Amino acid sequence: MSGLHELSTSEIAAGVKGKKFSALEVFDDCLNRTLACDGSLDALITTVVEDGRRAAEAIDGRVARGEPLGPLAGVPTVLKDNMCTYKVRTTAGSRILGGWEPPYSATVWTLLSEAGATLLGKSNMDEFAMGNTTGTSAFGPTRNPWDTSRVPGGSSGGSAAAVAAAYVPFALGSDTGGSIRQPASYCGIYGLKPTYGLVSRYGLIAYGSSLDQIGPFARSMADIALVMSVIARHDPRDSTSVPGKSFDFTVRKGSDALRGKRVALVREFQDFTLDKPIADAMKRVAKICEDAGAEITEVSLPTVGRYAVACYYAIAASEAHTNLARYDGVRYGAEADEHAGTLREAFEDVRSKGFGVEVKSRIIAGTCLTEPVRSEEYYVAATRVRTLIAEEFHRAFESADCILQPVTPSMPERIGEVDDDATKGYEADLYTLPVNMAGLPGLTFFTGYAESGLPVGLQLVGHRWSDATLVDMGAALEEIIGSPRVPAVVKGAA
Amino acid sequence: MLNDEEVRAIAAEARLSLHGDELAKAVRYINNFLGMVDRFKELDLKDVPPFCFAESTECPLREDVAAPFPRVPDILAARSQSLDYAGAFRVPRIVEE
Repeated sequence: MSGLHELSTSEIAAGVKGKKFSALEVFDDCLNRTLACDGSLDALITTVVEDGRRAAEAIDGRVARGEPLGPLAGVPTVLKDNMCTYKVRTTAGSRILGGWEPPYSATVWTLLSEAGATLLGKSNMDEFAMGNTTGTSAFGPTRNPWDTSRVPGGSSGGSAAAVAAAYVPFALGSDTGGSIRQPASYCGIYGLKPTYGLVSRYGLIAYGSSLDQIGPFARSMADIALVMSVIARHDPRDSTSVPGKSFDFTVRKGSDALRGKRVALVREFQDFTLDKPIADAMKRVAKICEDAGAEITEVSLPTVGRYAVACYYAIAASEAHTNLARYDGVRYGAEADEHAGTLREAFEDVRSKGFGVEVKSRIIAGTCLTEPVRSEEYYVAATRVRTLIAEEFHRAFESADCILQPVTPSMPERIGEVDDDATKGYEADLYTLPVNMAGLPGLTFFTGYAESGLPVGLQLVGHRWSDATLVDMGAALEEIIGSPRVPAVVKGAA
Repeated sequence: MLNDEEVRAIAAEARLSLHGDELAKAVRYINNFLGMVDRFKELDLKDVPPFCFAESTECPLREDVAAPFPRVPDILAARSQSLDYAGAFRVPRIVEE
Protein backbone atom coordinates (compact mmCIF):
# COMPACT_ATOMS: atom_id res chain seq x y z
CA MET A 1 0.00 0.00 0.00
CA SER A 2 1.58 3.33 -1.02
CA GLY A 3 1.09 6.82 0.38
CA LEU A 4 1.12 5.61 3.99
CA HIS A 5 4.39 7.45 4.60
CA GLU A 6 2.56 10.78 4.40
CA LEU A 7 0.11 9.91 7.19
CA SER A 8 0.47 11.44 10.64
CA THR A 9 1.53 9.53 13.74
CA SER A 10 -2.02 9.29 15.08
CA GLU A 11 -3.44 8.29 11.66
CA ILE A 12 -0.93 5.45 11.38
CA ALA A 13 -1.57 4.20 14.92
CA ALA A 14 -5.36 4.36 14.38
CA GLY A 15 -5.08 2.60 11.01
CA VAL A 16 -2.94 -0.20 12.44
CA LYS A 17 -5.26 -0.67 15.42
CA GLY A 18 -8.33 -0.57 13.14
CA LYS A 19 -6.73 -3.06 10.68
CA LYS A 20 -7.01 -0.57 7.79
CA PHE A 21 -3.43 -1.49 7.03
CA SER A 22 -0.73 -3.47 8.78
CA ALA A 23 2.29 -2.15 10.66
CA LEU A 24 4.45 -4.00 8.15
CA GLU A 25 2.76 -2.24 5.21
CA VAL A 26 3.41 1.11 6.88
CA PHE A 27 7.03 0.21 7.62
CA ASP A 28 7.67 -0.97 4.07
CA ASP A 29 6.06 2.13 2.56
CA CYS A 30 8.20 4.38 4.77
CA LEU A 31 11.24 2.28 3.88
CA ASN A 32 10.51 2.65 0.15
CA ARG A 33 10.18 6.40 0.57
CA THR A 34 13.48 6.42 2.45
CA LEU A 35 15.24 4.41 -0.24
CA ALA A 36 13.83 6.71 -2.94
CA CYS A 37 15.08 9.88 -1.24
CA ASP A 38 18.09 9.08 0.89
CA GLY A 39 20.53 8.73 -1.97
CA SER A 40 20.02 12.47 -2.46
CA LEU A 41 19.53 13.58 1.14
CA ASP A 42 21.83 11.36 3.24
CA ALA A 43 19.58 11.89 6.23
CA LEU A 44 20.33 8.49 7.73
CA ILE A 45 23.59 6.96 8.86
CA THR A 46 21.99 3.57 9.46
CA THR A 47 18.77 2.21 7.94
CA VAL A 48 17.29 -0.46 10.19
CA VAL A 49 15.64 -2.81 7.72
CA GLU A 50 15.42 -6.31 9.19
CA ASP A 51 14.98 -5.44 12.87
CA GLY A 52 12.48 -2.73 11.93
CA ARG A 53 10.41 -5.10 9.81
CA ARG A 54 10.49 -7.70 12.59
CA ALA A 55 9.24 -5.11 15.10
CA ALA A 56 6.41 -4.19 12.71
CA GLU A 57 5.46 -7.86 12.34
CA ALA A 58 5.41 -8.17 16.13
CA ILE A 59 2.92 -5.28 16.30
CA ASP A 60 0.78 -6.98 13.67
CA GLY A 61 0.88 -10.13 15.81
CA ARG A 62 -0.47 -8.17 18.75
CA VAL A 63 -3.25 -6.75 16.57
CA ALA A 64 -4.17 -10.24 15.35
CA ARG A 65 -4.27 -11.58 18.92
CA GLY A 66 -6.35 -8.67 20.13
CA GLU A 67 -3.71 -7.58 22.65
CA PRO A 68 -3.55 -4.03 23.97
CA LEU A 69 -1.58 -1.60 21.80
CA GLY A 70 0.30 1.56 22.68
CA PRO A 71 -0.42 5.02 21.30
CA LEU A 72 2.36 4.69 18.69
CA ALA A 73 1.44 1.20 17.47
CA GLY A 74 3.21 0.51 14.20
CA VAL A 75 4.54 4.06 13.74
CA PRO A 76 8.01 4.06 12.16
CA THR A 77 10.47 6.55 13.57
CA VAL A 78 14.03 7.79 13.29
CA LEU A 79 16.35 8.62 16.17
CA LYS A 80 19.29 10.97 16.05
CA ASP A 81 22.42 8.85 16.10
CA ASN A 82 23.45 10.01 19.57
CA MET A 83 20.70 8.00 21.27
CA CYS A 84 21.75 4.51 22.29
CA THR A 85 19.80 1.68 20.67
CA TYR A 86 20.52 -1.85 21.85
CA LYS A 87 22.57 -3.71 19.24
CA VAL A 88 21.91 -1.04 16.59
CA ARG A 89 25.00 0.91 15.52
CA THR A 90 25.22 4.29 17.26
CA THR A 91 27.93 6.67 16.09
CA ALA A 92 27.16 10.24 17.26
CA GLY A 93 28.34 11.19 13.77
CA SER A 94 31.91 10.35 14.77
CA ARG A 95 34.60 8.07 13.46
CA ILE A 96 35.68 7.38 17.04
CA LEU A 97 32.52 5.39 17.76
CA GLY A 98 32.63 3.74 14.33
CA GLY A 99 30.55 0.59 14.43
CA TRP A 100 29.69 0.73 18.13
CA GLU A 101 26.55 -1.22 19.03
CA PRO A 102 25.36 -0.15 22.48
CA PRO A 103 24.66 -2.84 25.07
CA TYR A 104 21.58 -0.91 26.24
CA SER A 105 18.94 1.49 24.94
CA ALA A 106 18.25 5.10 25.82
CA THR A 107 15.16 5.57 27.98
CA VAL A 108 13.43 7.56 25.21
CA TRP A 109 13.79 4.61 22.82
CA THR A 110 12.55 2.18 25.48
CA LEU A 111 9.47 4.39 25.99
CA LEU A 112 8.80 4.79 22.25
CA SER A 113 9.18 1.10 21.51
CA GLU A 114 6.96 0.16 24.46
CA ALA A 115 4.37 2.51 22.95
CA GLY A 116 4.60 0.53 19.69
CA ALA A 117 6.99 2.63 17.57
CA THR A 118 9.29 0.81 15.12
CA LEU A 119 12.84 1.96 14.38
CA LEU A 120 13.51 2.76 10.71
CA GLY A 121 16.84 4.48 11.07
CA LYS A 122 19.49 6.41 12.96
CA SER A 123 19.93 9.89 11.58
CA ASN A 124 22.94 11.91 10.56
CA MET A 125 24.19 14.67 12.83
CA ASP A 126 27.13 16.95 13.38
CA GLU A 127 29.87 15.05 15.17
CA PHE A 128 28.91 14.80 18.85
CA ALA A 129 26.22 17.42 18.05
CA MET A 130 28.85 20.14 17.57
CA GLY A 131 27.68 22.15 14.60
CA ASN A 132 24.60 23.59 12.96
CA THR A 133 24.67 22.15 9.43
CA THR A 134 25.51 18.40 9.78
CA GLY A 135 28.71 19.40 7.99
CA THR A 136 30.96 18.14 10.80
CA SER A 137 29.57 14.58 10.56
CA ALA A 138 32.20 11.97 9.77
CA PHE A 139 29.58 10.51 7.39
CA GLY A 140 29.28 13.63 5.22
CA PRO A 141 26.52 16.26 5.19
CA THR A 142 22.76 15.81 4.95
CA ARG A 143 20.93 17.94 2.34
CA ASN A 144 17.81 20.05 2.76
CA PRO A 145 14.74 18.35 1.22
CA TRP A 146 13.48 21.73 -0.07
CA ASP A 147 16.74 22.55 -1.88
CA THR A 148 19.40 19.87 -1.95
CA SER A 149 22.14 22.43 -2.51
CA ARG A 150 21.44 23.81 0.98
CA VAL A 151 22.04 22.62 4.52
CA PRO A 152 19.19 21.14 6.56
CA GLY A 153 20.49 22.78 9.73
CA GLY A 154 21.99 20.92 12.63
CA SER A 155 23.05 19.29 14.61
CA SER A 156 19.89 17.12 14.36
CA GLY A 157 19.69 17.81 10.61
CA GLY A 158 19.20 14.16 9.64
CA SER A 159 16.13 13.76 11.85
CA ALA A 160 14.63 17.02 10.57
CA ALA A 161 15.24 16.13 6.91
CA ALA A 162 13.81 12.62 7.42
CA VAL A 163 10.56 14.02 8.84
CA ALA A 164 10.30 16.86 6.29
CA ALA A 165 10.79 14.40 3.42
CA ALA A 166 8.23 12.01 5.00
CA TYR A 167 10.48 9.04 5.64
CA VAL A 168 8.63 8.89 8.96
CA PRO A 169 5.95 11.03 10.65
CA PHE A 170 8.10 11.90 13.65
CA ALA A 171 11.70 11.65 14.82
CA LEU A 172 13.73 12.54 17.87
CA GLY A 173 16.62 14.96 18.03
CA SER A 174 18.64 16.55 20.79
CA ASP A 175 19.09 20.25 21.43
CA THR A 176 22.13 21.64 23.26
CA GLY A 177 22.06 25.15 21.76
CA GLY A 178 19.37 24.98 19.07
CA SER A 179 19.98 21.59 17.47
CA ILE A 180 16.27 20.71 17.27
CA ARG A 181 14.82 24.17 16.65
CA GLN A 182 17.20 25.37 13.92
CA PRO A 183 16.92 22.28 11.64
CA ALA A 184 13.13 22.20 12.23
CA SER A 185 13.04 25.77 10.94
CA TYR A 186 15.31 25.09 7.95
CA CYS A 187 13.33 21.98 6.96
CA GLY A 188 9.89 23.54 7.49
CA ILE A 189 8.49 21.34 10.26
CA TYR A 190 7.80 21.57 14.00
CA GLY A 191 10.44 20.89 16.63
CA LEU A 192 10.20 21.13 20.41
CA LYS A 193 13.12 21.53 22.78
CA PRO A 194 11.48 20.62 26.10
CA THR A 195 12.24 22.12 29.50
CA TYR A 196 15.55 20.74 30.81
CA GLY A 197 14.62 17.88 33.13
CA LEU A 198 11.32 16.91 31.44
CA VAL A 199 12.66 14.19 29.10
CA SER A 200 15.24 11.63 30.23
CA ARG A 201 18.80 11.94 28.92
CA TYR A 202 19.72 8.40 29.97
CA GLY A 203 21.41 6.83 26.96
CA LEU A 204 21.93 10.14 25.17
CA ILE A 205 25.61 10.48 24.23
CA ALA A 206 26.54 13.59 26.19
CA TYR A 207 27.89 16.83 24.73
CA GLY A 208 27.03 19.54 27.28
CA SER A 209 25.22 17.73 30.07
CA SER A 210 23.65 20.81 31.67
CA LEU A 211 22.33 21.94 28.27
CA ASP A 212 21.41 18.77 26.32
CA GLN A 213 17.74 17.90 25.98
CA ILE A 214 15.93 15.37 23.76
CA GLY A 215 12.78 16.40 21.89
CA PRO A 216 10.54 15.58 18.91
CA PHE A 217 10.26 16.68 15.27
CA ALA A 218 6.96 16.27 13.39
CA ARG A 219 4.94 17.70 10.51
CA SER A 220 2.04 18.58 12.81
CA MET A 221 1.64 19.91 16.32
CA ALA A 222 -0.74 17.04 17.15
CA ASP A 223 2.13 14.64 16.51
CA ILE A 224 4.52 16.71 18.65
CA ALA A 225 1.94 16.51 21.43
CA LEU A 226 1.44 12.76 21.04
CA VAL A 227 5.17 12.02 21.16
CA MET A 228 5.66 14.29 24.17
CA SER A 229 2.87 12.44 25.99
CA VAL A 230 5.01 9.28 25.62
CA ILE A 231 8.54 10.56 26.36
CA ALA A 232 7.90 13.22 29.05
CA ARG A 233 8.42 10.94 32.05
CA HIS A 234 10.54 11.02 35.16
CA ASP A 235 13.45 8.60 34.87
CA PRO A 236 15.30 7.51 38.01
CA ARG A 237 18.30 6.70 35.78
CA ASP A 238 18.75 10.40 34.96
CA SER A 239 19.48 12.39 38.10
CA THR A 240 18.48 15.62 36.34
CA SER A 241 15.06 14.24 35.37
CA VAL A 242 12.65 16.12 37.63
CA PRO A 243 9.93 13.98 39.26
CA GLY A 244 6.31 15.03 39.67
CA LYS A 245 5.96 16.87 36.37
CA SER A 246 3.18 15.59 34.16
CA PHE A 247 1.32 17.60 31.59
CA ASP A 248 -1.67 17.15 29.35
CA PHE A 249 -0.27 17.32 25.83
CA THR A 250 -3.63 16.69 24.14
CA VAL A 251 -4.14 19.13 21.27
CA ARG A 252 -7.72 20.32 20.78
CA LYS A 253 -9.01 21.61 17.45
CA GLY A 254 -10.42 25.12 17.55
CA SER A 255 -8.66 25.90 20.83
CA ASP A 256 -8.45 29.47 22.02
CA ALA A 257 -4.84 29.03 23.12
CA LEU A 258 -3.67 32.43 21.87
CA ARG A 259 -6.47 34.50 23.43
CA GLY A 260 -5.32 36.59 26.35
CA LYS A 261 -1.68 35.48 26.07
CA ARG A 262 1.03 38.09 26.48
CA VAL A 263 3.36 37.40 23.56
CA ALA A 264 6.59 39.37 23.95
CA LEU A 265 9.15 40.55 21.43
CA VAL A 266 12.72 41.03 22.68
CA ARG A 267 13.78 44.68 22.52
CA GLU A 268 17.50 43.96 22.02
CA PHE A 269 16.85 41.56 19.13
CA GLN A 270 15.02 44.22 17.13
CA ASP A 271 18.30 45.95 16.23
CA PHE A 272 19.68 42.84 14.54
CA THR A 273 19.39 42.25 10.82
CA LEU A 274 17.19 39.41 9.61
CA ASP A 275 16.79 37.94 6.15
CA LYS A 276 13.63 39.38 4.60
CA PRO A 277 11.48 36.21 4.71
CA ILE A 278 12.20 35.91 8.44
CA ALA A 279 11.55 39.60 9.16
CA ASP A 280 8.30 39.37 7.18
CA ALA A 281 7.26 36.24 9.09
CA MET A 282 7.88 37.99 12.43
CA LYS A 283 5.49 40.82 11.45
CA ARG A 284 2.90 38.46 10.00
CA VAL A 285 2.86 36.09 12.98
CA ALA A 286 2.74 38.94 15.51
CA LYS A 287 -0.36 40.22 13.66
CA ILE A 288 -1.88 36.71 13.61
CA CYS A 289 -1.36 36.44 17.38
CA GLU A 290 -2.92 39.85 17.93
CA ASP A 291 -5.90 39.02 15.73
CA ALA A 292 -6.38 35.80 17.70
CA GLY A 293 -6.66 37.75 20.94
CA ALA A 294 -3.07 37.83 22.18
CA GLU A 295 -1.43 40.97 23.50
CA ILE A 296 1.91 41.83 21.87
CA THR A 297 4.31 43.18 24.48
CA GLU A 298 8.04 43.76 24.79
CA VAL A 299 10.68 42.40 27.14
CA SER A 300 14.29 43.42 27.59
CA LEU A 301 17.13 40.87 27.73
CA PRO A 302 20.32 42.97 27.68
CA THR A 303 22.58 40.35 29.28
CA VAL A 304 21.33 37.72 26.87
CA GLY A 305 21.95 40.01 23.91
CA ARG A 306 25.54 40.78 24.84
CA TYR A 307 26.87 37.78 26.77
CA ALA A 308 24.81 34.67 25.95
CA VAL A 309 26.89 33.48 23.01
CA ALA A 310 30.21 33.71 24.86
CA CYS A 311 28.69 32.22 28.00
CA TYR A 312 27.17 29.33 26.12
CA TYR A 313 30.31 28.36 24.26
CA ALA A 314 32.42 28.60 27.42
CA ILE A 315 30.10 26.24 29.28
CA ALA A 316 29.45 23.91 26.33
CA ALA A 317 33.16 23.53 25.55
CA SER A 318 34.03 22.96 29.22
CA GLU A 319 31.40 20.27 29.59
CA ALA A 320 32.32 18.73 26.22
CA HIS A 321 35.97 18.39 27.15
CA THR A 322 34.96 16.47 30.27
CA ASN A 323 32.32 14.34 28.55
CA LEU A 324 34.55 13.42 25.64
CA ALA A 325 37.44 12.37 27.88
CA ARG A 326 35.82 8.92 28.00
CA TYR A 327 36.74 8.17 24.39
CA ASP A 328 40.09 6.59 25.01
CA GLY A 329 39.97 3.58 22.69
CA VAL A 330 39.79 1.18 25.60
CA ARG A 331 36.19 0.45 26.52
CA TYR A 332 34.24 0.97 23.29
CA GLY A 333 34.41 2.41 19.81
CA ALA A 334 37.63 2.71 17.84
CA GLU A 335 40.47 0.74 19.44
CA ALA A 336 43.96 1.99 20.03
CA ASP A 337 46.70 0.52 17.88
CA GLU A 338 48.24 -2.16 20.08
CA HIS A 339 51.68 -1.09 18.84
CA ALA A 340 51.06 2.54 19.83
CA GLY A 341 53.67 2.42 22.60
CA THR A 342 52.89 4.05 25.95
CA LEU A 343 49.39 4.42 27.32
CA ARG A 344 49.54 8.12 26.62
CA GLU A 345 50.55 7.50 23.01
CA ALA A 346 47.71 4.99 22.64
CA PHE A 347 45.16 7.55 23.92
CA GLU A 348 46.54 10.29 21.68
CA ASP A 349 46.58 8.02 18.68
CA VAL A 350 42.95 6.94 18.93
CA ARG A 351 41.61 10.39 19.88
CA SER A 352 43.62 12.32 17.30
CA LYS A 353 42.51 10.01 14.48
CA GLY A 354 38.96 9.54 15.77
CA PHE A 355 37.78 13.12 16.39
CA GLY A 356 37.12 15.69 13.66
CA VAL A 357 38.55 19.20 13.68
CA GLU A 358 35.53 20.99 15.25
CA VAL A 359 35.36 18.49 18.08
CA LYS A 360 39.11 18.76 18.72
CA SER A 361 38.86 22.56 18.74
CA ARG A 362 36.09 22.55 21.32
CA ILE A 363 37.86 19.98 23.49
CA ILE A 364 41.01 22.12 23.46
CA ALA A 365 38.96 25.25 24.24
CA GLY A 366 37.24 23.47 27.14
CA THR A 367 40.54 22.17 28.48
CA CYS A 368 41.99 25.67 28.30
CA LEU A 369 39.03 27.35 30.06
CA THR A 370 38.98 24.85 32.92
CA GLU A 371 42.71 24.78 33.65
CA PRO A 372 43.32 25.90 37.23
CA VAL A 373 45.05 29.11 36.08
CA ARG A 374 42.08 30.19 33.95
CA SER A 375 39.09 28.45 35.48
CA GLU A 376 37.96 31.31 37.77
CA GLU A 377 38.41 33.89 35.04
CA TYR A 378 36.50 31.97 32.35
CA TYR A 379 34.60 28.82 33.33
CA VAL A 380 33.43 29.92 36.78
CA ALA A 381 32.71 33.39 35.41
CA ALA A 382 30.56 31.78 32.69
CA THR A 383 28.52 29.89 35.28
CA ARG A 384 27.90 33.22 37.07
CA VAL A 385 26.90 34.94 33.82
CA ARG A 386 24.54 32.03 33.25
CA THR A 387 22.83 32.87 36.53
CA LEU A 388 22.30 36.45 35.31
CA ILE A 389 20.83 35.14 32.04
CA ALA A 390 18.42 32.78 33.81
CA GLU A 391 17.35 35.56 36.21
CA GLU A 392 16.79 37.89 33.28
CA PHE A 393 14.45 35.38 31.61
CA HIS A 394 12.67 34.83 34.94
CA ARG A 395 11.97 38.56 35.22
CA ALA A 396 10.88 38.76 31.58
CA PHE A 397 8.29 36.04 32.14
CA GLU A 398 6.72 38.03 34.96
CA SER A 399 5.25 40.28 32.26
CA ALA A 400 4.94 37.80 29.38
CA ASP A 401 3.55 34.32 28.80
CA CYS A 402 5.97 33.61 26.00
CA ILE A 403 8.50 35.20 23.68
CA LEU A 404 8.08 35.24 19.90
CA GLN A 405 11.42 35.39 18.13
CA PRO A 406 13.35 34.18 15.09
CA VAL A 407 15.17 30.86 15.18
CA THR A 408 18.04 32.11 13.03
CA PRO A 409 18.80 35.47 11.43
CA SER A 410 19.21 33.94 7.99
CA MET A 411 17.80 31.33 5.64
CA PRO A 412 19.73 28.06 5.18
CA GLU A 413 23.10 28.55 3.54
CA ARG A 414 24.49 26.52 0.67
CA ILE A 415 26.46 23.41 1.60
CA GLY A 416 30.15 24.25 1.87
CA GLU A 417 29.60 27.98 2.53
CA VAL A 418 31.58 28.10 5.75
CA ASP A 419 33.52 30.87 7.34
CA ASP A 420 37.11 29.91 8.05
CA ASP A 421 36.72 31.36 11.54
CA ALA A 422 34.29 28.97 13.21
CA THR A 423 33.68 31.30 16.15
CA LYS A 424 32.03 33.88 13.82
CA GLY A 425 29.32 31.38 12.93
CA TYR A 426 28.51 31.04 16.61
CA GLU A 427 26.82 34.48 16.61
CA ALA A 428 24.05 33.01 14.42
CA ASP A 429 23.04 30.89 17.40
CA LEU A 430 22.01 33.89 19.52
CA TYR A 431 18.29 33.17 19.08
CA THR A 432 18.47 29.57 20.18
CA LEU A 433 21.20 28.98 22.74
CA PRO A 434 20.01 31.30 25.56
CA VAL A 435 17.01 28.97 25.86
CA ASN A 436 19.34 26.11 26.83
CA MET A 437 21.28 28.33 29.22
CA ALA A 438 18.11 28.87 31.27
CA GLY A 439 16.69 25.37 30.69
CA LEU A 440 13.55 26.76 29.00
CA PRO A 441 11.25 25.11 26.47
CA GLY A 442 11.41 26.41 22.89
CA LEU A 443 9.13 25.48 20.00
CA THR A 444 9.93 26.00 16.32
CA PHE A 445 6.77 26.30 14.25
CA PHE A 446 6.18 26.49 10.52
CA THR A 447 5.03 29.87 9.15
CA GLY A 448 4.93 29.31 5.37
CA TYR A 449 7.26 29.37 2.38
CA ALA A 450 9.45 32.17 1.06
CA GLU A 451 9.42 33.14 -2.64
CA SER A 452 12.47 30.88 -3.06
CA GLY A 453 10.33 27.92 -2.00
CA LEU A 454 12.29 27.48 1.23
CA PRO A 455 10.25 27.16 4.42
CA VAL A 456 10.41 29.77 7.18
CA GLY A 457 10.12 28.91 10.86
CA LEU A 458 9.86 31.02 13.98
CA GLN A 459 10.17 30.24 17.66
CA LEU A 460 8.05 30.50 20.79
CA VAL A 461 9.99 30.42 24.07
CA GLY A 462 8.23 29.87 27.38
CA HIS A 463 9.10 29.77 31.06
CA ARG A 464 10.23 26.50 32.60
CA TRP A 465 7.56 23.77 32.54
CA SER A 466 5.30 25.70 30.14
CA ASP A 467 5.83 23.05 27.43
CA ALA A 468 2.15 22.10 27.15
CA THR A 469 1.16 25.77 26.81
CA LEU A 470 3.68 26.22 23.99
CA VAL A 471 2.33 23.10 22.28
CA ASP A 472 -1.24 24.46 22.57
CA MET A 473 -0.16 27.81 21.14
CA GLY A 474 1.76 26.11 18.32
CA ALA A 475 -1.31 24.04 17.48
CA ALA A 476 -3.49 27.17 17.40
CA LEU A 477 -0.98 28.84 15.05
CA GLU A 478 -0.96 25.73 12.84
CA GLU A 479 -4.75 25.92 12.53
CA ILE A 480 -4.52 29.52 11.34
CA ILE A 481 -1.35 29.31 9.21
CA GLY A 482 -1.69 25.78 7.84
CA SER A 483 0.57 22.72 8.04
CA PRO A 484 3.73 22.07 6.05
CA ARG A 485 3.58 20.24 2.74
CA VAL A 486 5.64 17.17 1.86
CA PRO A 487 8.10 17.70 -1.00
CA ALA A 488 7.96 15.41 -4.03
CA VAL A 489 10.44 12.51 -4.13
CA VAL A 490 13.72 14.24 -3.56
CA LYS A 491 16.24 13.50 -6.27
CA GLY A 492 19.34 15.00 -7.72
CA ALA A 493 21.65 16.68 -5.26
CA ALA A 494 22.79 19.92 -6.86
CA MET B 1 47.04 35.37 23.35
CA LEU B 2 48.31 31.82 23.40
CA ASN B 3 51.20 30.74 21.20
CA ASP B 4 51.81 27.49 19.33
CA GLU B 5 53.63 25.80 22.19
CA GLU B 6 50.98 26.71 24.78
CA VAL B 7 48.18 25.36 22.57
CA ARG B 8 50.16 22.22 21.83
CA ALA B 9 50.59 21.70 25.59
CA ILE B 10 46.85 22.17 26.23
CA ALA B 11 46.05 19.72 23.44
CA ALA B 12 48.43 17.20 24.96
CA GLU B 13 46.63 17.60 28.28
CA ALA B 14 43.42 16.62 26.43
CA ARG B 15 45.31 13.65 24.92
CA LEU B 16 45.23 15.13 21.43
CA SER B 17 48.14 15.56 19.07
CA LEU B 18 47.79 18.11 16.28
CA HIS B 19 49.11 17.38 12.82
CA GLY B 20 49.67 19.40 9.65
CA ASP B 21 47.74 22.66 9.66
CA GLU B 22 45.69 21.58 12.70
CA LEU B 23 47.97 23.43 15.10
CA ALA B 24 47.68 26.76 13.27
CA LYS B 25 43.90 26.36 13.09
CA ALA B 26 43.67 25.46 16.77
CA VAL B 27 45.78 28.47 17.80
CA ARG B 28 43.54 30.80 15.81
CA TYR B 29 40.39 29.13 17.14
CA ILE B 30 41.41 29.25 20.78
CA ASN B 31 42.57 32.89 20.59
CA ASN B 32 39.29 33.93 18.95
CA PHE B 33 37.48 31.92 21.60
CA LEU B 34 39.32 33.66 24.42
CA GLY B 35 38.59 37.01 22.78
CA MET B 36 34.90 36.11 22.87
CA VAL B 37 34.82 35.06 26.52
CA ASP B 38 36.92 38.07 27.59
CA ARG B 39 33.62 39.98 27.52
CA PHE B 40 32.85 38.58 30.97
CA LYS B 41 35.38 41.05 32.37
CA GLU B 42 32.91 43.87 31.69
CA LEU B 43 30.62 42.45 34.40
CA ASP B 44 30.85 42.65 38.18
CA LEU B 45 30.25 39.02 39.09
CA LYS B 46 31.63 38.85 42.63
CA ASP B 47 28.22 38.53 44.32
CA VAL B 48 26.61 36.39 41.63
CA PRO B 49 26.42 32.68 42.50
CA PRO B 50 27.29 30.04 39.90
CA PHE B 51 24.27 28.77 38.01
CA CYS B 52 22.19 25.92 39.40
CA PHE B 53 18.76 24.73 38.27
CA ALA B 54 16.21 25.56 40.96
CA GLU B 55 14.84 22.02 40.82
CA SER B 56 18.20 20.37 41.48
CA THR B 57 17.18 19.80 45.07
CA GLU B 58 14.00 18.06 43.89
CA CYS B 59 15.93 15.37 42.04
CA PRO B 60 16.42 12.55 44.51
CA LEU B 61 19.45 10.36 43.97
CA ARG B 62 18.91 6.65 43.54
CA GLU B 63 19.91 4.39 46.36
CA ASP B 64 23.55 3.49 45.91
CA VAL B 65 23.00 -0.21 45.37
CA ALA B 66 25.01 -2.24 42.89
CA ALA B 67 22.76 -3.85 40.28
CA PRO B 68 23.85 -6.63 37.94
CA PHE B 69 24.25 -5.69 34.29
CA PRO B 70 22.86 -8.55 32.21
CA ARG B 71 24.67 -7.81 28.96
CA VAL B 72 28.35 -8.18 29.78
CA PRO B 73 28.84 -10.56 26.81
CA ASP B 74 27.70 -7.78 24.47
CA ILE B 75 30.39 -5.49 25.84
CA LEU B 76 33.08 -8.16 25.57
CA ALA B 77 32.03 -9.08 22.04
CA ALA B 78 32.75 -5.54 20.88
CA ARG B 79 36.45 -5.60 21.82
CA SER B 80 39.23 -7.38 19.99
CA GLN B 81 41.14 -8.13 23.20
CA SER B 82 38.31 -9.88 25.04
CA LEU B 83 39.10 -12.52 27.62
CA ASP B 84 35.64 -14.07 27.70
CA TYR B 85 36.59 -16.71 30.25
CA ALA B 86 37.51 -13.95 32.71
CA GLY B 87 34.59 -11.64 31.90
CA ALA B 88 37.14 -8.96 31.05
CA PHE B 89 39.14 -7.53 28.21
CA ARG B 90 42.79 -6.67 27.98
CA VAL B 91 43.65 -2.98 28.28
CA PRO B 92 46.93 -1.15 27.61
CA ARG B 93 49.51 -1.26 30.38
CA ILE B 94 48.57 1.45 32.88
CA VAL B 95 51.67 1.58 35.04
CA GLU B 96 54.44 2.62 32.71
CA GLU B 97 58.04 1.67 33.32
